[in-house]
Formats: sequence, C-alpha cells, structure tokens
Amino acid sequence: MSSYKEVAQRVSCFRPGSTLCPGCMESVALQNTGRVTDNGIKTVLAIGTSCAEVSSLAFPNVVAWGRGDSAPDDFARSFGIIHNVFESAPTVAEGVRDVGDLLTEAGALRKPLQVLSVSGDGGALVIGLRALLHSIYRRSNITIMVLVNEFFANTGFQYSVSATPFSDTSTTPAGNASPGNLQKPMDYLHLCIAAGADLVAQVSPAHGKLFINTIEKGLATPGTAVIFVPAPCISGWKFEDGKTLDLALLGARCGVFPTFVWERGKGGVVKDCGATPADRPAVEEFLGMQRRFSHLVQKDRITGELGPRPGRERELIAFKEWVQENVERLHSLCALK
Amino acid sequence: MSARGPADTVPHIPTLSGERYDSVLDLEQLRKAHVPMHTVRTDLTADGNTVAALAMLQMWRAPLFAGFPITPSTKWLETIAAHLSTSQRGLRRLKLLEAEHAVADYMAGAAGACRDLIVSTATSSVGLDHMTETTRSLGASGLGNIVLVNVYRSTANYPLCIEGDPSDALAHRDDGFIQLACRGKQQIYDTMIQAPCLSMQHDVLTPVMPGYYGIKDSHRNARLTVEPDAEIHAFQDRWIKPCPLPGLINGDTAMGNCVTSKHFQGFKHDQKQRILRVFDWMPRIAADFERTFGRPGLEFFDLAGWPDEGDVDLAVVTMGPDFGTFEWLREEWAAQAGMKVAGLAIRLLNPLPRAALRARVERAKVVLVVNQAHHSGRGHLTLDVADAIAGLERPPILVSAFCGMGGADVSQPTWEAMLEQGALAHRGLPYADGRIYHEGTAL
Repeated sequence: MSSYKEVAQRVSCFRPGSTLCPGCMESVALQNTGRVTDNGIKTVLAIGTSCAEVSSLAFPNVVAWGRGDSAPDDFARSFGIIHNVFESAPTVAEGVRDVGDLLTEAGALRKPLQVLSVSGDGGALVIGLRALLHSIYRRSNITIMVLVNEFFANTGFQYSVSATPFSDTSTTPAGNASPGNLQKPMDYLHLCIAAGADLVAQVSPAHGKLFINTIEKGLATPGTAVIFVPAPCISGWKFEDGKTLDLALLGARCGVFPTFVWERGKGGVVKDCGATPADRPAVEEFLGMQRRFSHLVQKDRITGELGPRPGRERELIAFKEWVQENVERLHSLCALK
Repeated sequence: MSARGPADTVPHIPTLSGERYDSVLDLEQLRKAHVPMHTVRTDLTADGNTVAALAMLQMWRAPLFAGFPITPSTKWLETIAAHLSTSQRGLRRLKLLEAEHAVADYMAGAAGACRDLIVSTATSSVGLDHMTETTRSLGASGLGNIVLVNVYRSTANYPLCIEGDPSDALAHRDDGFIQLACRGKQQIYDTMIQAPCLSMQHDVLTPVMPGYYGIKDSHRNARLTVEPDAEIHAFQDRWIKPCPLPGLINGDTAMGNCVTSKHFQGFKHDQKQRILRVFDWMPRIAADFERTFGRPGLEFFDLAGWPDEGDVDLAVVTMGPDFGTFEWLREEWAAQAGMKVAGLAIRLLNPLPRAALRARVERAKVVLVVNQAHHSGRGHLTLDVADAIAGLERPPILVSAFCGMGGADVSQPTWEAMLEQGALAHRGLPYADGRIYHEGTAL
C-alpha cells in the first residue's frame, strides 16, 4: 500500500473546474481517487449521469478531468473518460475492460490498463441496480465506485433507496402528517457480496488513509471491487459550510454509515464504529447538524442539548433502533467469507 | 515526478477530441490472430441470421460480440456462440449480457475503447426499444464502429407478435443509425460486409443498423455465395482506415459530455452532416464491391420495371422481401391493366435518399406506397414519399396501403387488391386510401 503522503503528491485526474457545490464530498472523493490512479497504469473511467458527471463534463465548461495542464507525454498518465446514461457505468466499464483484455491477449496492447466506473447511488442502486449486480455477477475486472449522497441530488434531492430513515427529501417531504422517508435503506453492501463481488467497502475520504488504501486494494483486485462512498451533500443534507468531513466522520462513527471493508475469502471488518450505542457518538449529534432532520431533533434553548422535537419521540427511538440494527448487520456481514 | 516510477513517454498527436497515442496499439497483431471462417469462395445454404453472423465472424476487426436473445434475432447470437465453441474461435469473444439495454451500454464502452475495432450485436422489436436510451446516444456518439443488426419484428407486446414487420426499424429511424434494409440472404451477407465500410468513414462516423425481416428472411434458407475472409479483409481495408479520433485506450479524451442548449445545436448539426455523407460514400463503396465480388453493392433502392426513358403510370414504393412477389406478378398484371408499372424497395432507410426518391417517382402518374408497419396516419413510407414529392409542379397521386403487418404473407391477391386502387386513381376514379389489406381483402 502506498503511503498517504506519497499519494497526496501525485497528479490527480480530477482537476479544478468542476461546478460541484463547495463543500461537496464527491469532489474530495474524486480528487483522492484521481491521485490513487496516478500509479503508472493508464486509467479509463466510465461515469454515469450524476452530480459528479454533470458538474465535470458539461460543455462548454472546463472538462474537469485529465492529468496536468496539457496532454501528458507519459502514456500512463493519459486519461480516458466516457459518460453514458445514469444506470450503465459498470456495464460501459466492462466494455472497455474486455476490449483492453482482448487487445492485450492479442499482443496488440502492450500497456496495462485500469478501469473504474463511478455512479451516484440513484444511478447504481435505483435505476441501475440491475446493471450493478450483473456487472458484479460477471466478475468483471473493474473497480466500481458509488457516491452515496442518499438522493437523486442533481435533479433536486428526490428520495433514493439509500436515504436514511426519516430524512426529508423532495419526494418524501417531512410535514405535520409525515416524518419524512419511512423506508429503511437498501442493504446494498450485502447485495454486492451476494452477487459475487471480490471486495465490498463503505468508506469515506474522511478516513483518508483507509480510503486511499481501499481504492488501491480495489484496483489491485483481480475481480470486481465495489466501493460505496458516503457523500454528505451540503445542498441536500443542509449543513454548515466547512462541516463536510466532520459530518462524514460522525456519520460513520455513530453507526449511520459505518466504515466497512470486506474481501472475498477473508471476511470483513467494521472500523471506527463501536458495537453498542454506548461506544458510539449519539446519533442526535449527527442529526442535529443537518436541516434535513430538523423535523426530528431540536436543540434545547437553555441546555443546548439535542433531543427529539415534541411529537417525534417515537421516530427518534425508531431511528436509534435502526442504527443499532445497521451496525449489527454489518458486523454479521464481516463473518461471511 | 511522483514516486510512481519512471515516465512511460510515448509520442502523441493532437486531434479535435483529445490526444491520440498511436504507438500503444498494434492492431496488426489482431489481424494476424484472426482464424478464417472460409479460405475459398463457397456456396452454401443458410438462413438470414446465420449469414449475418457469418459475415461478422469473417472480419478481423470484429473480435467482440455482445448479445441478449430475442426472437427472431436469437439465431444470430447462437451462431456466434456456436462458432466460438469450436477451434475456429481464435481471439473472438462473446459477451452475454442481462438485457438489451445492457448490450447497448456495453457496446458504448467497447466501441469507445478502441475506435478501430468493430463491435456487433443483433436484436429485434422490444429489444431494440429497450436499448433506445443508449442507441439514441450511440447514434450521436461518433462511434461508427458499432454494427447493430435489427431483425425486423413487430412492436410492441400488446398484442405480442414474434414475426417480422419493420415497425421496429421505422420507429427507430430517429436513433441516428445508418439503417440498411435487406431482402434475401445474399443481400444480407453482402450488406454486412459493406456496412462498416460506410459507417467508419472519417466524415461519417455513425453507427450502422443493417436489418432484414424476421422469420421471412431470418429463418428461411436460401443459397448464397460467401467470400474468403482474406478477400473481405482486402476489400474492407481499402475503405476502413485508422480512426483519426482517439479512443479511450489510445487517447487522452472525454466522450459523452453534457452540453448547454446553445451548444447542443452545433452537436446536432454535426451529427446530421455526418450521416448525410452516406449519400456520397455509398455508391463508391458499392461500385468497388461489385468490381471485387461481381455482385451488386449497396443501393438506395432495389428497382423493378423502370423504363430508361418515359413515364410510368403506376409506381410502387415499399420495402422488404414481399417486393419479390410484386416483381413476379408485375409484368402480367401491368399487361392486363394496360398500364406501365414499376416499383422500388427502399434499402437505405436512414438517411432516406429523398432526392433520389423524388427523381425516381416524379414522372409517375400514381405512386402506390405499400406500408408494412403500423402507423396512426398514412404510413411511415407514405409520409416519406409525400415529403420527397412535395413542391413538384404536377405531383403524382399518392395512394397509401398497409399489408403484411406482424409478418403476414403478402399474397398475390393482396398485391392485386392494392394495385387495383392504384389503377382506380390512375383512371381518375375513387380509390381507397390508407386501408389494410390481407389475403386480397381490404379490412
């Protein structure tokens, strides 16, 4: 594994010029992934329609991809990116991978190739779940990154299957008669393991070294690696500027999206997240930082303590029960080989 | 310089869509790895799906096939799979995907990875519909190295009919592919060989969709001549040159960008200009094909009964294998009716050769357009002919008819019933327009 310091000095293929919101975790994830892929191997990226795509590939804006200010002389630093529809990034990546493998086998391509796909959670888990699971099932040698902001963010923060319970989305709005989203998130980590992935992870760039090492591990995996990246969305989650990394760390530590790395044949590990509520930060702290949960928790004006908004006590208890269930579920997944 | 190792410096060339690193690919190795299907000219008996697959298997540039089965195109896929299970496999690969949409997505990645390889598949009807989100992107993509065989079948699933009419092909003309309609096994085979020569021209770069009628042509056998692989390679190599644009593997490039509406116009203008270049390239490729193989090359239309000079009383415009029945009865029916009768079957569906169509039918007194696909109005082809003759000082009378939908046979009585309407129009008598004919009866 490369050192964090060494990777930080590499040239990222994600360049300035994107129109992602300031404070967006996706840009942090792409920036770091871009550095990891500056590893002496030519990179091709297939990207599905998503915030990350429309904000980085919109003509006539700057194409926010490529290494350096001009085309690199070093072929390994050259970079190819293809956008197709929302749901198809893994399948498009498979097409690239297969051509690369075929040309290599023929002796027609004498340089190595690494192929990644990037999708949002809407693209990968909702409209594109079929594509995601079948790409995994075919054991294609690609690294799939899913940026999970829990919305269809680039179309206006509509509900996605990864949405946290009781979150306020534009299609599950919280109101007097509704506490927001009533669905529990889809168990996408387990689905990917069951479909046959060789590496499945949920890791945030807030866990910097682990994030980089997991991407490296994914690229080195001979089969399919799937890395879910919790991506706090400043516009949709509605939190204060400058709190992106704090929120990502807190969300992982309090059990909402625990850091999880699983490898076929080795099993998995949950990191930086205690097994019991007493070992974790209070979820109220996580909820209280975001206005998408302002219908659920409020700060006591006198004590400053966060607690349930009157009338939402049952929902807060249910939320805590779901968090515990979530943590226990991930621990049980670790036992799978 | 990072700690990632020494630079792998490679010469590169700037292009309109990024840099191209030519030396990283040596496709000559792929050509050498090709295992021929035929080393001598061979006569054989086969169905349409088999010959369409065989033609693709004979191309050294086409080692990668993708597919999902759907009637009546399934045997194309099975034929590829069968050959790849033998010692003739070589480096060829077949990718089985989970749905037609995935096939189209996969082709986007594969064709984008290396623009000098040909990636192919076959589908039909609702399979093509399912692909549509991506085929419309592919049509605009500049990826001329995609061959999507459309085995015509009626759409959609209510009621479900697995037999062939061209409602799928005609509904997908706006996808942006070059669409070539075939009839007969030899024509299918010959079209497949010429198709990528057309689509991969540097000022065309538009994917191609050769098509033929399901069941009537896909499943029925006929004799045909197949050429040695080496001769096909030599022919295609004359027309297919290395793509000037970078692929994802040999390039520093981006594909599939979003655009604002202001710039969208420019992309669409370019897309349209590229496909219109087909009108110039097709006759040149066809002439070389005929010189090389001694059979007719691609045409805008198949023609029957057109005099070198003078007018015709009744011109028939249609497509597909049922045109053969018209060819068979034309002379006798014309003699009995005392009319000069000619006909054409459209072969270039998209871009439609409007000017050539106008030139062909403008001196007819009546044009009978025989449609075989459901349409809420007077028929896809009728509207095409109406557009082609628009503005003529003395336009022919346009008579529309429907028949053969869902792959129904277009029998001699059916042809005669439709032609009779053309004859009535010619005599200035009332005639039926837009009716559906079956077994000689107007429904």
